Amino acid sequence: MKMTARLKLTLMTTALLLGSLHPSVWAHQQAFENMGITKPRVEKSAPGFALQDIQGNMVNLEDFRGKAILLNFWATWCEACKEELPSMQRLYEALSSQGVEVVAISIDRRNFDRVKKYAKEYNLTFPVLWDPEQKVRKHYYIMGLPTTYLIDPNGRLKGFASGARVWDSPDSIQALTSLKEKL
Amino acid sequence: MLKKNLLSLLIANVFLLIFVPLSQAYIGLCCAHCGGNMPLNIPGGGIPETHEFRFKVSQMFMVMGPLRDGTRDLDNAAELLGPANGTTFAVTPEEMRTYMTMASVAYSFTDDFAMMAMMSYIRNEMDMQFNTPLQSSTGTRGFTMTSDGQSDLTVLGKYRLYKDDNLAPTKQASVLFGLSLPTGEIEKEFTNNPVNGQNGTILPFRMQTGSGTVDPIIGVTLQSSTDPWWYGANAQLEAHVYNNDQGYRRGSELRYDFYLMRQVHSRVVLLGELQGWYEGTFNREPYRGRILGEGHAGGTPSGGFLSPLFDPKNYGGHKLAVTLGLQFQPIPLHVVEMAATIPIYQDLNGPQLRDDYMLQFTYYVELPTKKSRRYTGFKAPKELGF
Repeated sequence: MKMTARLKLTLMTTALLLGSLHPSVWAHQQAFENMGITKPRVEKSAPGFALQDIQGNMVNLEDFRGKAILLNFWATWCEACKEELPSMQRLYEALSSQGVEVVAISIDRRNFDRVKKYAKEYNLTFPVLWDPEQKVRKHYYIMGLPTTYLIDPNGRLKGFASGARVWDSPDSIQALTSLKEKL
Repeated sequence: MLKKNLLSLLIANVFLLIFVPLSQAYIGLCCAHCGGNMPLNIPGGGIPETHEFRFKVSQMFMVMGPLRDGTRDLDNAAELLGPANGTTFAVTPEEMRTYMTMASVAYSFTDDFAMMAMMSYIRNEMDMQFNTPLQSSTGTRGFTMTSDGQSDLTVLGKYRLYKDDNLAPTKQASVLFGLSLPTGEIEKEFTNNPVNGQNGTILPFRMQTGSGTVDPIIGVTLQSSTDPWWYGANAQLEAHVYNNDQGYRRGSELRYDFYLMRQVHSRVVLLGELQGWYEGTFNREPYRGRILGEGHAGGTPSGGFLSPLFDPKNYGGHKLAVTLGLQFQPIPLHVVEMAATIPIYQDLNGPQLRDDYMLQFTYYVELPTKKSRRYTGFKAPKELGF
């Protein structure tokens, strides 16, 4: 009996070790590291929101349940934000059919027309929302722009990135697609 | 002079080179504090992002002249030149040119508290005109009086008392407090005066490069922004409360500014500024004038002033000026500003040179330290599990 318990423990430990050494797990972790994405210590649900998009429709976080989400906070006056918008669009075009959603929330307080103008100028086809009252921004503790959260299909926060990134890089695609998989 | 200015710039650049490696990990994060920026000619106005340095080098060129008393310009030759009897003078200024190279360093310890230190190297040139007897005796119409050297060191702290938003505030109120330290000189002397016996005597007040006293500075700054406009006001008082080693003190100086800035491009901001100064008179002559008679006719304290520049009452007044300029960000973390200032109102205490115009070019670089949110990106919020 004693030997059986020890054997079980050994097998479980071996399985865990082998699992953690699986190339895909290692690759996902490496992708997060390469992208400078901080993983949560404790996984929490992403704060919910309901905001207007540039077409005037109300959009809820819940609308994207079942999809991995790249949730980006930006502003038209933020130069670094504009640098990463094209790569976000390319990422969206590459992965939207695979259940990955890109959502950008502008925190411009006014001049919504300028947000629309930028969306048009950069040919953004992913949802662009507007948070003029800064409520959602505060719920997400945004302290600099751009800031991006990665959210899994169950609505749980999986990653945090502060500053501009090239979002259509192989590492980014790896990180986003990994959110769709059960690790 | 050029060599000394270049030396100042060189020292500033060495500072930059020492700290440039700190900024290599910059990852493209907008701290969103640009809306809290101010015209760079407001001392202590703009401050760096939290845990970042800001090194600033500025070159200023100012021209003053002609003479004015109250709000009326004076005809130098007709109204002031004559015997040194208290009403007319043996020698009067015609124009003054000031070249100032300023270097400053600032560091923000927290989101709300920053410290900065400013040092200048100044060069003054003042064209002087002799009365007829002196023109005859010296064989020249006048001469150019010069002085140069380090000015007083200013150390300022800025504490933000109020902000309506932590990331991108639209309203902020801050207090400024600090000291001006007497690193400049108060006993600069004539070196090229064509009049016999004048070289080696003390230069007038304005040609000195320092105040000779430790002077407290207090101020308040209000900043607002409504995209794409930034606007605000600033008021600063530099008090001169005791006499220096020469037994005199400058008049206290109140400076106030109203500014309006408009972002016309993501890298370009236009600025307009209304600036005002109230400055008191000097309280009395330096010891070398009051007791030793330097700057007086006959070299005795009872003699009339040789020039209106030696009379402590002929300083200060109320000035208003307008500044127009632009700030440009060629690459992230680097900003240049070009500004021109012209006076619109000057009510001066006694005959003195009025401001004509001022040009200023400023460059600054922001250098994130390892603690800055722009170095590695802002720390993920623990409230959300990170």
